[in-house]
Amino acid sequence: MAGAENVVGSRSQANRELRRFLLGLGRGAAGAMLFGIPMLMTMEFWALGFSMDRWRLLLMLLANIPMLILLADLIGFEHTTTWQQALRDATIAYGLGIAISGAILVMLGIIKADMSLSEILGKTAIQAIPASIGAMLGRSQLGGQDDDEEKDGEDGGAVPDHLSTHYVQELFLMAVGALFLNLNVAPTEEVILISYKMTPWHALAAILASIAIMHAFVYAVAFKGTHAIPEGIPWWHAFLRFTLPGYVIAMGISIYVLWTFGRLDDMAFTQMLMSAIVLSFPGSIGAASARLIL
Amino acid sequence: MTNIIDNRPSEADNPGWIEWATGLLAAVLVIGMLVWVTWEALTQENRPPEFTVTITGRQMVQGNYRVSFDIANTAPQTASAVAVRGEIIQDGKAVEEVEVTFDYVPAQSQAAGAVLFSRDPGQDEVRVRAVGYTTP
Repeated sequence: MAGAENVVGSRSQANRELRRFLLGLGRGAAGAMLFGIPMLMTMEFWALGFSMDRWRLLLMLLANIPMLILLADLIGFEHTTTWQQALRDATIAYGLGIAISGAILVMLGIIKADMSLSEILGKTAIQAIPASIGAMLGRSQLGGQDDDEEKDGEDGGAVPDHLSTHYVQELFLMAVGALFLNLNVAPTEEVILISYKMTPWHALAAILASIAIMHAFVYAVAFKGTHAIPEGIPWWHAFLRFTLPGYVIAMGISIYVLWTFGRLDDMAFTQMLMSAIVLSFPGSIGAASARLIL
Repeated sequence: MTNIIDNRPSEADNPGWIEWATGLLAAVLVIGMLVWVTWEALTQENRPPEFTVTITGRQMVQGNYRVSFDIANTAPQTASAVAVRGEIIQDGKAVEEVEVTFDYVPAQSQAAGAVLFSRDPGQDEVRVRAVGYTTP
């Protein structure tokens, strides 16, 4: 009799785990769509699918793998403790990103049967990057209250409500946030058009505004995840240690994304810098938001 | 380090040297960029776009004669909708004209393009030049 109860018990346990897994998958799919749709419905992104340099596409697709693994380690589908679990979650997110991007592009009539394989793969591949980040964020951001409590209990271990975020992790999250907003904006022609319309004076204003907004987002405006500066510490400590490196990261990501999309080719240094400054404006907002949300 | 206490993250009182070093490096980069852009702003001259066209290749392709070229804008102002005309000159007269438009030729940068003639110019002169632009 006791044996039979055990069997029933382990079966319901397995059922619960399957449900949890499917729930995570559903949230991932929702996240992939929520974060991916703006890019799936952007014309320049379709063109990039067949026009962009294949080596740069490959580099971005490969770079996405360690990024997803690190992201999974921080905020993945399930509470991850080992790198194998992080790897599994990253693979699921990437797979979801590819499947959902492909399906939506087919539904929208952007991928058709008579297109070349290179075009179909290129269009799906470039979309899979933001969609897979979205899938990863979906688990973190669309999760209910239950999960948060459970996460705190598990994550914190012995000291459940005191967890230390490593500095490098913080910078990494800023990079992800910047990348995400950059991907939204970078392929559009508006970025370079704005950089042509701006004078260097406009650019100076944009740099200062980006940095000020970044700092204000995290420390001044009282959002849910607002970071507090301990009493007696001057404001510029956090400014120097977090905001300025964050802006440099947003700038670096902007340059990388512009280069990947071939926006910097044959450009003079000042022009490159100008378009990077333009793109860093949304990038720095993304970086600051990532510190708050993730 | 950021410590999350009561779900409200707070910066640690005793950050490591790595954080200060990163911060200083970032400050140097940002100040460097600000100085560069300010210098650009102060020294920028308002010279309108100037173009030089360099022919980089001539080739027969599927019934068309392709003349590929680089167009460089040497001025500090960007030009948009740059119209470039290619002509085959025979005895001082243009016997064939083709036109191509560049969306942008950025300041102090170059763009590449090509014009397609319907016939091989042979010994005749091929002329490629910018014929107009707008400001973005």
